[in-house]
Amino acid sequence: MAELLKANILADFAFYRRSRLLLAFMLVFLLLTGLNSIPPLFTNSGVQKFNALQDIFSDLNTFLLFFAGAMGLFIISSHLRNRNLKMVFTKPCSPALWLASAFLSAVAASFFLNCIVLASGVTLSLIWHVPVRAGLVFVSLDTFLASVGIIAYLMLLATLVHPAIAATLALIFNAELFLSVQIWTLAAIRSGNSSPALRALEHFFHYLYLLLPMVHAFGKETQGIYRSLRVPHGEWKYLPYALGYALALSAFCYCLALFTLQRRRHI
Amino acid sequence: MIVAENVYMHFRRGLLSRRVRALNGLSLEVREGDFFALVGQNGAGKSTAMYCFLGLLRPTSGKVEVMGKIPALGSPLYENVAYLPEEPHYHLYLTVEEATRYYSSLYGKRVSPKKIDDILERLGLAQFKTLPLAKCSKGMKQKVGIAQCLLHETRLLFLDEPTRGLDPLVVREFREALQEIHRRGATIVMNSHVLSEIEMLANRVAIIDGGKVVVQDELRNLLVPNQELYAVAFEANGSTPDYLTSIERLGNLVRGSIPKEKLYDFMDYTKNSGLHVHECSLKKISLEDSFFKIVKGGGPLL
Repeated sequence: MAELLKANILADFAFYRRSRLLLAFMLVFLLLTGLNSIPPLFTNSGVQKFNALQDIFSDLNTFLLFFAGAMGLFIISSHLRNRNLKMVFTKPCSPALWLASAFLSAVAASFFLNCIVLASGVTLSLIWHVPVRAGLVFVSLDTFLASVGIIAYLMLLATLVHPAIAATLALIFNAELFLSVQIWTLAAIRSGNSSPALRALEHFFHYLYLLLPMVHAFGKETQGIYRSLRVPHGEWKYLPYALGYALALSAFCYCLALFTLQRRRHI
Repeated sequence: MIVAENVYMHFRRGLLSRRVRALNGLSLEVREGDFFALVGQNGAGKSTAMYCFLGLLRPTSGKVEVMGKIPALGSPLYENVAYLPEEPHYHLYLTVEEATRYYSSLYGKRVSPKKIDDILERLGLAQFKTLPLAKCSKGMKQKVGIAQCLLHETRLLFLDEPTRGLDPLVVREFREALQEIHRRGATIVMNSHVLSEIEMLANRVAIIDGGKVVVQDELRNLLVPNQELYAVAFEANGSTPDYLTSIERLGNLVRGSIPKEKLYDFMDYTKNSGLHVHECSLKKISLEDSFFKIVKGGGPLL
């Protein structure tokens, strides 16, 4: 079992290294981040340098979330579309094991990239003489945990639909959208429109919001840490909460993805 | 080794497309140690049957058992199974060596790098070890598929059009490797359109038409000599006797068939005309003849 996991994970790492789509995605984002980091090089103000650090760190972490999603999406869709899983499943390697390997490899790659981004944040703090704040570690860990959930969700979508549709669902039809629509319907109801259809819609959007996975499950509670990069005493507790959410979401998505994978025709 | 009983496989290729009846009551049995060939026209259901044996497709109805178990994706059953697919749907982002190592490691057993090197050398892939599969020709990808089949000494091999796209040298090497594997007791199930190859390798044949087996027999029973015709080859000096049929000319040499009752007439003719006879034997029926007769004629040959 360990031998099979290792073989699959090594093959998946080769996929991430050689995927031109992932490489292009990474280059574009790094180029944009690089361009954003040029202006702070010419300023002497400590506050401006901190703001620049916070912006760059935030951009890089956002990129990591997108990149994690892309890894989860491509590792599944690429294998399904190339129809090469029949080479795997006609050996004593079950879909459960292959899927677990794909998930673990994406999580490991994501963790590695998170470490690089954290190291870049610390390095920039040292170069610009900005105090190295614990918030860098918190944001990195929180981003990593959010990435785990995103990877699992995109892997599930990739087993169900075409990757373009999966990306559209993840980017547009997400929990945030339905929260906004629910707030809009609530506002309409409070302003005097008490139509039963509108109330039903409000409930419908509310349940959709609850059903769909969130990127940052405790985003409201931790937004201060993201802004100041300081972690007040007692706020570290949100990391285990986020871990719990990521694990629950991953387990749910894994089981559903496995169910779909076992019912697909791999010919 | 493999038992298929009354297997039906119906599926749609898209949501709105018509149902395809790929298998229509297919029944066959492959015994341990057989070199079993599945023969049929395109779309007859050979590959679908193989997918059902491999657990890649679940039959709509009917029973399929491989080594006494129902095949399912990635089950431990596959520790003793090797599969060479028809289309080279491999992990294109891996190099030749990585792919061979990866596929062999999926058996959960360690394979020494030397063994991998040896097999790549034998198949003429040694110099392309670091080439990604995406940049390999179809024949080279097929060789990678063959390499992963030969690395483990499995009890059962499924080969779907194994020599398609291979150069003649490798075809010969591969054929010898298959004969060697078969001699050591492995069971081989092969789909192929190359009937001459099946004649050389297989001991049992199933002819599939319209999703079901129309004939399943020992190959030798399908190749029995025709007792009614003699195949002859002789040097002719112009005209040929009118009872000579299926005439082929190659310079002075004429090949053809004569009815049994005209054999002595033919001998008199050649003796009187002073013609040199190169061949005169009971005409053998090739698998191709049998196949055409069964599939086009709608019934068994014998």
